[in-house]
This record gives sequence, structure tokens and C-alpha cells, in this order.
Amino acid sequence: MGQPCPPLLFIGFLTRPVGDEPRISVATVTKQAISASVFGIGTVEARYNYRIGPTAAGRVQQVLVDVGDSVQAGQTLAIMDAVDLDSRIQAAGLAAERATASIASANAQTKEANARFTLAQHEAQRQQSLAAKALVSPSSSDARQQDLAVTQAAVEASHAAAAVAKKEQQRLQAEQQALRQQQANLTLTAPVAGMITSRDAEPGTTLVAGQAVLTLADPQSYWVKARIDQSLALGLQAGQTASITLRSAPQQALPGKLVRIEPLSDSVTEERIVGIAFTPVPAALSSGELAEVTLQTGQKAAALVIPNAAIQQQAGQSGVWKLNPDNSLQFTPVQTGIHSLDGQVEILSGLQADDTIVVYTSKALRADSKIKVVAQL
Amino acid sequence: MISLAARDIAHSWSKYVLTGIGLGLLIGVTLSMAGIFRGMVDDAQVLLRNSQADVWVVQKDTQGPYAESSSLPDDVYRSILGMPGVQQAANVTYFTMQVQHQGKDTRVMVVGFESGQPGAPPSLIAGRHVTRSHYEAVADVKAGFKLGEKIRIRRNEYTIVGLSQRTVSSGGDPMVFIPLADAQAAQFQKNNDAIVSGRERTAANPAFNRPNVPGLLEAVQMSQTTSHNVNAVLVQVRARWDAAQLAADIQRWKHLQAYTYADMEEISVKKLIATSAKQIGLFLVILTIVSTAIVSFIIYTMTLGKIREIAVLKLIGTRNSTISWMILQESLGLGLVGFIIGKTVATLWAPVFPKYVLLLPLDAVLGLLVIVVVCTLASVMAIRAALKVDPAEAIGG
Amino acid sequence: MADNTTPAIELRGLCKRYGSGDTAVDALKGVDMRIAPGEVVGLVGPSGSGKSTLLKCLGAVIDPTAGQMFLGGEAIFDEVWKVKDLRTLRRDRIGFVFQAPYLIPFLDVTDNVALLPMLAGKSNKEARRRALELLEALDVAHRAKSNPALLSGGEQQRVSIARALANNPPVILADEPTAPLDGERALAVVKILNDMAQQHQTAIIVVTHDEKIIPTFKRLYHIRDGKTYEEAVS
Repeated sequence: MGQPCPPLLFIGFLTRPVGDEPRISVATVTKQAISASVFGIGTVEARYNYRIGPTAAGRVQQVLVDVGDSVQAGQTLAIMDAVDLDSRIQAAGLAAERATASIASANAQTKEANARFTLAQHEAQRQQSLAAKALVSPSSSDARQQDLAVTQAAVEASHAAAAVAKKEQQRLQAEQQALRQQQANLTLTAPVAGMITSRDAEPGTTLVAGQAVLTLADPQSYWVKARIDQSLALGLQAGQTASITLRSAPQQALPGKLVRIEPLSDSVTEERIVGIAFTPVPAALSSGELAEVTLQTGQKAAALVIPNAAIQQQAGQSGVWKLNPDNSLQFTPVQTGIHSLDGQVEILSGLQADDTIVVYTSKALRADSKIKVVAQL
Repeated sequence: MISLAARDIAHSWSKYVLTGIGLGLLIGVTLSMAGIFRGMVDDAQVLLRNSQADVWVVQKDTQGPYAESSSLPDDVYRSILGMPGVQQAANVTYFTMQVQHQGKDTRVMVVGFESGQPGAPPSLIAGRHVTRSHYEAVADVKAGFKLGEKIRIRRNEYTIVGLSQRTVSSGGDPMVFIPLADAQAAQFQKNNDAIVSGRERTAANPAFNRPNVPGLLEAVQMSQTTSHNVNAVLVQVRARWDAAQLAADIQRWKHLQAYTYADMEEISVKKLIATSAKQIGLFLVILTIVSTAIVSFIIYTMTLGKIREIAVLKLIGTRNSTISWMILQESLGLGLVGFIIGKTVATLWAPVFPKYVLLLPLDAVLGLLVIVVVCTLASVMAIRAALKVDPAEAIGG
Repeated sequence: MADNTTPAIELRGLCKRYGSGDTAVDALKGVDMRIAPGEVVGLVGPSGSGKSTLLKCLGAVIDPTAGQMFLGGEAIFDEVWKVKDLRTLRRDRIGFVFQAPYLIPFLDVTDNVALLPMLAGKSNKEARRRALELLEALDVAHRAKSNPALLSGGEQQRVSIARALANNPPVILADEPTAPLDGERALAVVKILNDMAQQHQTAIIVVTHDEKIIPTFKRLYHIRDGKTYEEAVS
């Protein structure tokens, strides 16, 4: 009849493996160079930010620069409203002048007291000599002595008055100085050369002490503050080279250098915080821009290397499925070393060079799995 | 003795095969339906298997993370790691979203995982595992992405570095695995407009924007954009420790919900698919009835077309049993042809289905048994008609 | 008429009544018939005369109500059937040739003929050999592997005759075997029937109203109102 025998077809159907046998692809353990890198995400920020504001509460009178302006060190950036400061300086000056007059008056009084004292002295000496010759009564001599004491006290008093006037003058001068200083502080100047990154207050705004009018940053101090997962942070060292990719230019890798590993980790996010400097600093960086950082943490010239896709977890143990020459599978626990970013893993123990291992599987494997080795899944 | 049925089938094979194709397509639909159901069950189970977890720790009084939403602080795992019997504990997040791929929306389940921990993709079929702690992804091959392609999840683009297979959510959506930190951010991340308007809203609130407290507003806004929540903690139990006991301990002392594998299976397989099971079960019953009706109608019609021959056969002394057997054989043959065609088409079109269709050999055997029963039943009417034929009809016109 | 030999088939007073009571119809009212082995007789009569009923009684597919029926001297019917299995009786001891050939369309020519020996328990090989012999004898062996539907009317009828002969029955009932054939072929069929009757010593009853062939019968039974009247022609 020339027709296919239905029972045979049918048996073929039932026994046909419906994708039951896992298909795998394999790789050979090789000895090759591997470099360890870690990857982190950070933001571009200025290493130092200068928040410039008045030292005392006040009202902004003038803001002379805007965001993006480059400024020189010492350049006037903003001026605070002086309010009554000038009058107060003038009042202090007048008071100081009055104190000077008081000094002169005290000096005059001293002179007068001195004259009276000298006179009293002469009188007392004469009376004493007369009294010694018993020419006058002792009481008259005593009276002269007393006059002497009184005039002496008057001299001392006038000395003290002069000293007080001097001090008063000094105080008033200092006060005037302080007010002048304060007047100088009303002019906000740039402490370093840099760029204005934000303008936080406009003329007329009243600020408390400590609030900033402008923020200044030095573009040369831009770096990337990156966060590296703690589990990957092994091997980080200041000085390691880095490559930085900005979100605005994902194709371009900028050279950098690890300059700081912060001693404090973020315990909530479980990340280390590192600072990576640009070498050199590119122009037109934007503070707050997201950056990806890849750090070279170490390398080995010859290590046993396998693809990381081969690593599987079995009962809490990392290992790989080894394909024995007789096509049987065997789960071999391994210890891993360097993980490279391109997906290679260094094997410290558990495998030999030229061992064949399973890389990709279409299904979870078991030691008794019947497998089909294919070049590509 | 020759097989009358075989000769009859061979004689009118075209009619028979065409009928068989029709029936076969119907059987194919039936088998596919069963396959779809098996696929659903397998989707739910594979989700649990791929998690490689013994215990799922979720928000108290929820049935998360798959059947309900669940949210835990992401430092809970540390206290769980400290419990006796815990081998590994890892945070994991799940959320479903639409991603754009080649102008089409694909629904995927984004999984945030920690490398080398439970919840990570169990094995790959191409590429490599994630090595960077950000912006790399492993996608299920069903999502349609190729190695090196970019997938946009919320505000960030992720490079596909590896492909996995049969990593799907219980709804059958392909999974995309991304590093946990990214997933945490993405899960609660809004689009840029929402972020900006949120900031403005906060700034307009005098409670947060106090002129005499510089920095407060910024602090408040920072705290609004960060997330330190995860959906579940996957726990692996040390060898020879009882998962159920550990789950009970976690529940008691940590005031969290903990489910063992069996519990999760109950929640995400049995409960989740109970209605679908009934739905598809009913559909299968209807398909079986329809098939029975079709087979019996066809066999009955074919028998009626042979009434004269049957009368002659009876007249020349053919046994009733021989005639009945012929009809039964034809019916079974039709069923077998239908089954072969049905199995073939079901196997052929199974990969075309957007969701997983699992054709179990056991289902095929069951299907065949049902077909045998159905065809036997279907031939009853035809056999009765044949037995009623009077051999005298052959004589005298 | 050879009274001294055992007749191949003999009917005595065979009656058949359809229905009962007032509506009863007597289709056969005591038919007598006696046919020797190797003899071909004609059975003629107008329609409604009881021809078909008689044939059905002879073919053991309906039950006569009274009378006797002998086959090769053995009483197969005597008020009641005397053989247990009418099916086997039909298969082994009565051959049928129909008005239309009624060949089984899904069997080829050989198997149409071989089916009877097969049903009788012969092996396929033996049955086919027997079938081929008969087809050869009837000159249709060249169509042995053909589908019966592709054969001409005469060929089909010859195959049908071969089938009737297949189990070598003592009696063959032919129900208007020449009806679909033209004169020449009708006569050829009658000749074949005669030859076969001679060759296999089979009694053949040919029911017909074909005027062309009626003269060929040596003996003719007329049937009218349920009764037979014998007419010797030669």
C-alpha cells in the first residue's frame, strides 16, 4: 500500500523527547591573563565648594555675578546692604574725638594738681622747719601736712582720670575699627578663583548668618565621588587607574585616578565611597552628572580562567559542571579569585587546565542528566 | 482473514485523511490547551525553582512576593543571616513593567538580585553573568533581546550581557535580571517630570521649606527619592536543617512572614491557577464532547454510506462481530490519524504561542486513551445502525 | 426430470404470511419446487407475485411460516428452521448473484471472491487461490487486482458469479442477474451460469423477467399469487 505504518509513527511520537534532554555548550579551562576591575557609579562634584554669604544677618544689596561666571580670587561678588553701619561708624568716631578731648582735660587737671601739690610741698617743708625751731605751733604744721596729702591725692586722681580717658578713646577707636571691618564684610569676595555654580539669593533678600548668596566651585577640583559595592571593594588602592564614563558621553572613556578611599563606608547601602580624580580635568563638566567608574584593581599574567556563566550554585556551594571524557557530568566545587568585568573568572582551585566544563545549559543539570552538546544554544 | 477496516480506509483514504485532519486539528487544539495549562503550572513552578530558595521571607501578613505585594526594609536580611540554620539570605525585588523593544512593548518582570545569591539567574544559554554592580542585565530569551542590546528600565539603560531560558514569572512574563540596587531605585523611581513636580510640591510646603533652617528642604527631597525596601528575602537553609522550622522561627522572632517551598507552591501554583485549571478543564471536557460528536457523526455517516455493502456482507455470511469490529477499527483508526496529526500540529505550533506550552508525554498518552474511549463510544451508534441492517435488503432491490 | 437423484433443493408447500389477523397477507401459499444438482431453472412471474419472498426464504434471510425446505436431502426447514446457524448456511451452502453485482467496493476483485472462503475459515492464501481459479474459469482473471467499480457490467456480474461459487455451494440464487445487461451479454451470463452449474454440479435458480433469456431455460417455474407452476420447455 506504500503508506507509513501508523503504529510505528505513533510509537515514535510518544518516545520522542520533547526538549527533555538539556542541551549544553562547553568550554575548556584555559590559562590566560586576567585583570580584575571594579565598577561603580558616582556623581561628578567639586572637591571643594565655597558657599559665600554674609557673616551677619542682613539684606542683599547687589549680586554682581551669575551662575557660570568665572571669577578671580578677591573679586567682589556681592554687596550686602549696609543699613545704619555708616552712621554707627560716624558716631563711634565722634565719641572717640570726645574721648581725646577728655584726655586733654584730664591732662590739664593733672598739671593743676601737680602745681598745687608742689605748692603744698613747699609750704609743708617751711612749716616743718619753723616747727622744728618752734616758731609755729605743731597744729599749724599738721594742717600743712594734711594739705600736702590732699593735693597729692588730687594729683593721683587726675592721673587716673587721664588713664580712663585714654582707655575710652582706645575702646571707641576699636569699635570704629570693628564697624569698618563689618563694612568691609558687606562686600562678598571670591576666596579662590573658580566658577559660580549657584546663585541662591537676589538683591533685597534678607538672610540669616550662614546662609549663602552664591556657591563657588573650582572647576579644576572636579572629581567623581563614586560608590563601590562592598563585596567588590577588595583590592582598591589609591593611585589605581580608572576610566570614567559620563552619562552625557557614554561612548567616551575619560582617564582618571583613584585618589581617595573614604575611611567610612555607607552602612545602609553597603558601599564604599571613593574619590576619582580626572587626569586631566575635562572642560565643561557638570556638577551632579552621573558617571560610571571602572577601576583596575589588579591583574594576573597567567591564571586558570573560565566564563562566569559556568558558575552554578548547588546546595549553597559554588561550582561548575565538569564534562568528563566519557560524557558524564560531575559537579565540581571551585574557589574563585579575580572576576573580570568581561565575564571571566579566575579559578583558584577545583579545576585543571584543559578540563571541559559546561558553560550554557538549556535546563538545570543533574549528575545523571542525559545531555546533548551543541556549539550554540 | 483480511482486515475489512484497513481495506475500507485504504479505499477511501482521501476522505478518511481529510476527516482525520479535521479531527486532528481539533485534537491538536485539545492537546495545546492541556499544554497551555501545563505551561502555566510550569511557569509558576519554574519561578520557585529558579529562586533557589528554601524559605521566602516577606512582609508580615502578606502572601508575597508573587501573589501579593510585599515590602521589607533591605537590612532585614542581616538579622536573618544571623539565625541558626541559615546558609544564605539575599534581598530580592520583583516588579512587572512594559519595556520597549524594537518599537514594541514587551511585558517583563524585572528582578533585582544580588550576584551569586539566591534569586540570581540560575544558568545561562548565552553571554555572561552580570559583573558590574550597575546597568547590566540578564534577560530571558523570550523577551526578545539580543546580547549587547540596551533595555530601558525607568530612567536608565541596561546592557544585556546574558540570556537565560525558562526564567519567567508565574504569569509567564519573561524576566529581566538587574542588580539589586538598580532595581530598588527603579522600582520606586518616577519619570523626570514626576520627580521635578514632586520637588516643587515639597518646596511649596512651608513645613519643609523653612528659611531659617538651611538644608532642610534638600534633606527632605533626598529622603523622598531613595528606597531601602525590597520585596522578599530568599533564604537557603543549611544542610540537615528543617526549612519549616526555620520559617516558623523567622515568623515568631522576626515578626515577618516566612514561607517554605511547599507553602509557596500552595500560594503561587495551586491558588493562582485554581480558576484557570477549572476553566481549562471545562474547555477540555467540551472539546472532548465535541470530538466525540464529530467522530461519531463521521463514522455514522460513513457506515450509512455502506449499508448496501453491509447487507451483502451479512447475506454472504459475515459475522455481526466482524462488521462491528470493522466499524470500531475504522473509528479507532480515525482517532489514531487524528491523534497523530493533532500531536504533530500541537508540537509544531507550540513554540509559536507567546506563553509557554508544555506538552507532556504523559498528557499525550492520556489524550490517546481518551481518544480510544471517545472513538469506541462514537462507533456505538454506527455499530447499532449496522447491526440493524437486514441481509434481506440485498435481495430483490 | 430426474426423480431418482437427491435434489439439490426441494420445497414442499412452503408458505409465507406477512403480518397477522385481518391485515395478514399470504405471499407464498404452498410452493413446491424440486431442482437437481447441475440444473438451471428459471423463476418468472409478475411483480408482487411472491418472487422476492420466495427468494428470501430460499436465501434463509426471512422465515417461512409453514412447509418444508430441503437442501441436498437435508431438511433445513420443517415448520421451523432445522439448522442453528442461518448465517453459516448462507455462507457455505447458498450462493447469491444479485440484480446489481453488489461487489464490495473497497476490496479488489480477488478479495471480493476470496472473502467467502476467508469467512469460512480458509487461509488468505488458499482463499485467494480459489478465487483466482474461479476468476480464471470465468475469464476475468486479468482484472483480478482491479477495483470492482472499474469493471464493465458483464465483468462485474461474472465476478459476482465467481463469488457465489466461491464456497462451492449446492445452490445458487440469482436475482435478475441479467437486468443491467444488454441481450448479448445477458445471454453470455446465462451461458456461464449453465456452464458453472454443469461444472460444479450446482443447482441454480434464476429469477428473471428478461424475455431474451427465458427461452434458454430447460425448466421454468412460473409464480403467480404465491403459487408455482412448473413449465418444462424442452
